Amino acid sequence: MINFLYAAFMLLVVGAIIVAAISRHKEACGWSALGFVSAAAACLLYLAAYVFLVGKIRAEGLLSLHPVIGTSLSIEIDPLSALFLIIISIISFCVTLYSITYIRHYEKESLLRYYPWLLLFFASIVGVVCMTDMIFFIIFWEIMTLTSWALVVYERENKESLKAGLIYFIVTHLATGCLILAAVILYSYTPGPSFRFEDFRAVLKTQQIMNPALVHGILALFFIGFVTKASTLPFGFWLPLAHPVAPSSFSAVLSGVMIKAGIYGIVRLFCTILPISGSSQTWGVIIALFGTFSIFIGTMSALTQDDSKRLMAFHSIGQVGYMFLGIGAGFYFLPVNSALAAIALVGGLFHMINHSWFKSCLFLNAGSVIYKTGTRDLNQIGGLFRLMPWTGITALIASLSISGIPPFNGFASKLLIFESSIIAGKQVGATILARGLFVILGLAAIFISAVTLASFLKFINSAFLGKLRGVEETSRSDVPRSMQIPQGILALLCVLFGVVPLLPITMVHKAISGALPVGLCPAFASLFGNVWPGISLNFGMGRVSGVWDPLWMIMAFLILVGVVSFVARAGGAKVREVETWYGGLQHLPADTAYRGHSFYRPFKQIFTFHFKGIEFRGLYPTTFPRPRISMPQGVRTFLSLDQWFYYPLGHLFMRLTRGLARSHTGHPQMYLLWIAVGVILVITILLYFPGG
Amino acid sequence: MSVGWIIGVSILNLFFALVLSPLLEGSARKLRAMVHSRIGPPIIQPYYDLAKLLGKEDLRSSPNPLIRIAPLSCLVSVGIAALLVPMGTFTVSTGTFEPPLGTYGDTILFIYCFALTAVGTILTGAASENPFAFVGASREMMMHLTVEPVLAIALITAAINAGSFRMGDMVFWYHAHGPAPSMILAALFLFLALQAQVGKLPFDIPEAEQEIMGGTFIEQSGPTYALLRWSMMAKQIVFCSVFCQVFIPWPMMGHIALDVLIHLGKVFVLVLILAIIDVVNPRLRIDQSIRYYLCLGFVSLSAIVLALAGL
Repeated sequence: MINFLYAAFMLLVVGAIIVAAISRHKEACGWSALGFVSAAAACLLYLAAYVFLVGKIRAEGLLSLHPVIGTSLSIEIDPLSALFLIIISIISFCVTLYSITYIRHYEKESLLRYYPWLLLFFASIVGVVCMTDMIFFIIFWEIMTLTSWALVVYERENKESLKAGLIYFIVTHLATGCLILAAVILYSYTPGPSFRFEDFRAVLKTQQIMNPALVHGILALFFIGFVTKASTLPFGFWLPLAHPVAPSSFSAVLSGVMIKAGIYGIVRLFCTILPISGSSQTWGVIIALFGTFSIFIGTMSALTQDDSKRLMAFHSIGQVGYMFLGIGAGFYFLPVNSALAAIALVGGLFHMINHSWFKSCLFLNAGSVIYKTGTRDLNQIGGLFRLMPWTGITALIASLSISGIPPFNGFASKLLIFESSIIAGKQVGATILARGLFVILGLAAIFISAVTLASFLKFINSAFLGKLRGVEETSRSDVPRSMQIPQGILALLCVLFGVVPLLPITMVHKAISGALPVGLCPAFASLFGNVWPGISLNFGMGRVSGVWDPLWMIMAFLILVGVVSFVARAGGAKVREVETWYGGLQHLPADTAYRGHSFYRPFKQIFTFHFKGIEFRGLYPTTFPRPRISMPQGVRTFLSLDQWFYYPLGHLFMRLTRGLARSHTGHPQMYLLWIAVGVILVITILLYFPGG
Repeated sequence: MSVGWIIGVSILNLFFALVLSPLLEGSARKLRAMVHSRIGPPIIQPYYDLAKLLGKEDLRSSPNPLIRIAPLSCLVSVGIAALLVPMGTFTVSTGTFEPPLGTYGDTILFIYCFALTAVGTILTGAASENPFAFVGASREMMMHLTVEPVLAIALITAAINAGSFRMGDMVFWYHAHGPAPSMILAALFLFLALQAQVGKLPFDIPEAEQEIMGGTFIEQSGPTYALLRWSMMAKQIVFCSVFCQVFIPWPMMGHIALDVLIHLGKVFVLVLILAIIDVVNPRLRIDQSIRYYLCLGFVSLSAIVLALAGL
């Protein structure tokens, strides 16, 4: 079975080389990349299905570095890894298919700097989720960072993307540094030299009692390393810079796959590596707090954005916050009430899968808009629904999904997160402070969910509805089929996961119970009920506290639609197309266009203010005063070596040589005189020292 | 719960929300006329209006299919919300206040049904391509953003008290437990938000006929306009039902016909109160309304605090 993993990996790596070799033939390059990626994706899907249906796969000691450093390449694919493999395989297929046409509109750039990196990126992230050895985990993590950086700066003549790339590079490497430091500290405590997760677990278990401060320090380092990748504020400030400037197809990967690696790290660390204890509770609260901070600031800031991809990048920060809220609540309640904790964890991870579908879809939609209009500015476009209905419909579905509108997938996962964090208020055994905190965090999440809706309705309204703007007359046709299909697949997944939430929830539950110590996670039926196809939530309080049964709801919805549309038709009203009515006046559509910037002005103004020279837009700082660093005079004098060392030395030398230069007069007689004087001097010396 | 019971109560709820709502709207209009010292239209005038609109020519300012679909989803989502609210149908045999579809969706779904209504209204407006409609859509969304938290907090106070998100459980708990300070506070805040939820003065800012000529509805005519108006009326019944059931679940006789009548009576009185507030108030500006409801949202957290303290 493990051979399928090797096959997928080799397909991606060899594919990267072959694609690099034929990068001049643009068409062939794209299709062959698609071939390699889809073959690898098929392998990974099969592998994931095997893991879910049969059991986990292990392979140990493949590449042993034991004599040198005490580590070896060991692989374990449990349901948690398999969950990520599913996301990776589907998103990689969709994105590669989308890229074939999309990436060609970058006429100046070579494909050599796109496909090979893309394939290597997929290979590296497959490696990240399968490793059980910290060294190899970090190696793949680093390859992932580097390849993604190469793709972020794909437009190398664009100053904005170079700058964003530099910030991304520096920030993520600092984060990787934290990971390495934490790993090395743990390594120094392992009895036999080892980087294996199991040995780390043993170390943490003993050190938790002996030296809790050390454990918290290590966890803090890991936390910073992972949440920087997962782009939780305030560590994720690189994301709104880097995501918009990458090619849209790769932005979809960044949001759909890469930031999930950080979530994987957190879940793996706190579920598998760290034993459940008081410190995991503390960190649960911290994770939930950081999560809600990101939800709030990220989404509020997204509301003020007029750049389509920047808007979505800020929503990535917000949505990651939802996942962290669920996961953090889960870690906090694990020792108290495992049923509540399991539902919260399942909600967080379920939202992560859903986010992969809808956010990737949205970035591809934004890419299609860019492909058609050449701009990311929502103020300059409008009415594209007429032109590209397919993109419009998929964007609408994805927007409603991300805002948690039933019956799409976002609703199901947000329901789990909301209800588990709010019902925590009823939890016996937790302190009143913690109970109140989680209720408030849940309420903030509900409020922000409406802000998400507002923000995406702005995107839909200004890009797709209204009067057609921002397109030249010559290009009036929908995007090519190869760009429509990936959007369609992802939108379909949004609907499917929303209508039949039981299927993904079963998978996520399996992943959670596999990652947690044996017996900690309650059985599926005791949490989510056994009434197919709906879910009925039992938070371990002896009752069914929440229900969601989409199929019956949709049936009721459809019956009502039938009845209401029958009534609406009963009058036999005729339909006629008319001009837009501007209140009796004659206006051109361009004069009266309601631009993206105008949406929600009064609301945005409340959250926009100046503080100490920093402008906060939607609570997110947008401008910074120049940092003024001053040092003591002595240090500054010392540091200016020019002033007291180089220049004086240089001047001295110049004076000296100028003096010497005076001897060069240019008269041969003078030179003869010098020679004569020299000869006399030498002879005198020789005569004076007879012994010489 | 038997299938027959579900279907029967569903039809009852839909009858209240969709068929009876114009009658209540008509009474509100009559009351309004009385305050104005007019005779006013007959009480069944809203039925005439709807019937007339359904037969009128449907003028479309855009070929966009959303202009047809969105009003439909608007009314249907209100209908679904009506199925998630108990309307006085306490049955002794089952001992629950379960709304007809209470086993399939809970309070969070109810809250999101109204998000879906807002989405329907906004998309209708935006699809019509009229700039006034865009202004209306923007305002509608801002209203939803600021009013929804108050509704959510009030209902969640009940959910925390009852330990369940199912509306039937919430009613059952409150009815059995008797008045609680947190619930009274939550009821007060919800009452302050009702006016905006049902789109009446001083908070009918998204329509604002005198400023933006109906906002999102400006391009609507014929059946689509009928559906939108109808959903506004039905929304009123659904919200008043939630208020009367979850926050004032008394008196409850245990006899289904009597309880339903009592419920209707309570809703009728509440609708008239809302109508009186509507008729004596001028319209607020959108920024005033946003500030008001954001503050209200913050203050209503106090109900949650009380609920957490077990009061």
